[in-house]
Amino acid sequence: MEFKTFVFYFLSAILVFAALRVITSRNPVHAALFLVLAFFTASGVWLLLQAEFLAMALVLVYVGAVMVLFLFVVMMLDINLDRLREGFWGYLPMGAIIALLMVGEMGLVLGGNYLGLFESSVRQAGADESNVQAIGRLMFTEYVYPFELASVILLVGIVAAVALTQREKRKNKSVNPSQQVFVKARDRVRVLQMPAEKRD
Amino acid sequence: MLESYFPVFVFILVGIAFGFAPVLTGLIVAPHRPDSEKLSPYECGFEAFEDARMKFDVRYYLIAIIFILFDLEVAFLLPWATIFKEIANTDSVRWFGFIEMMVFIAILVVGYLYAWAKGALDWE
Amino acid sequence: MLTLSHFLILGAILFAISVVGIFLNRKNLIIILMSIELMLLAVNMNFIAFSHYMQDLAGQVFVFFILTVAAAESAIGLAILVVLFRNLKTIHVDDLDSLKG
Repeated sequence: MEFKTFVFYFLSAILVFAALRVITSRNPVHAALFLVLAFFTASGVWLLLQAEFLAMALVLVYVGAVMVLFLFVVMMLDINLDRLREGFWGYLPMGAIIALLMVGEMGLVLGGNYLGLFESSVRQAGADESNVQAIGRLMFTEYVYPFELASVILLVGIVAAVALTQREKRKNKSVNPSQQVFVKARDRVRVLQMPAEKRD
Repeated sequence: MLESYFPVFVFILVGIAFGFAPVLTGLIVAPHRPDSEKLSPYECGFEAFEDARMKFDVRYYLIAIIFILFDLEVAFLLPWATIFKEIANTDSVRWFGFIEMMVFIAILVVGYLYAWAKGALDWE
Repeated sequence: MLTLSHFLILGAILFAISVVGIFLNRKNLIIILMSIELMLLAVNMNFIAFSHYMQDLAGQVFVFFILTVAAAESAIGLAILVVLFRNLKTIHVDDLDSLKG
């Protein structure tokens, strides 16, 4: 077996294992960390496909930023884990049937003539031709409108996230009269009956 | 083709070794005589008030969102910078490469100003 | 020899795992969001594999835009999750039935 093929199978095994742990682990923090491992391994697989720029972008953007966001959210909410796991394995048969159907379908379509479909007689990119430059050349000339639209999507993302999560700051300590008139004395004061004790 | 990534591989190995070496050395070299006082979390001498795992504040989340914005912006800037000379002027549009990136950044600055105006950057 | 089929089948397996993840964790919104991220990874894997074997870089440009959209999507999704938790003190999917008649 060629060394490159060995690397592919090694990375794929880690990737599939990490993906399985993401969906089965009890603790959401562990799930997020296994997702980091999955992204990291996937970037290795992308290096095999000579997509150097995207492999680095995946590590920078996903492992560096999006997963940090996930970890923050997991740690920000304290969740009743046991309730979320109720009937966890009960859904496995249904999910497994659909997943196997999908793998079967895709396998029939994609792997019909396995090992024969599109032999890898691909021209190896020369060392002088950088993947980053090639992507940039395409993105900033032919795909310039999608590129500008990407910034609009990012703008929508940040505006929505800030608008949803940012709480209004309290400018002063004024009271709310409409709530104030509803206050009853028994909400604020509790009268206790205690027997007198003799001091010794 | 894979041999060109050998330096990266060396860096990963060195990074893993650097992370594991102090922990392993501590495990092997240091004496182990644990008791309940040593194993309990330390809080200025008295009993711990609350669980060590506390909830994060939502302000960290807002900072992380702004970080994602600028992370992606830099990821877009990198390929642009490598081919800037080629696309700086096209046949029809002068300063094409410059203008397109300035439009991109200007749209993102709107989001930045929004977050700033809403007070997402203030800590208090 | 690595062929296109290798990468496509890896992508198919990843996609199927994340579908199972959505079925298994249908009570936990955070893991559902993570499964969606895995799904996008599988899709990106197919894009890059096709882009490599057909020598067309447009696929890789598309993957970069998908990464952008996915980052914005997870930011908004998590923001909705945070607001939901703040109002209801739960992220259990079964508790989100305020609109039920």
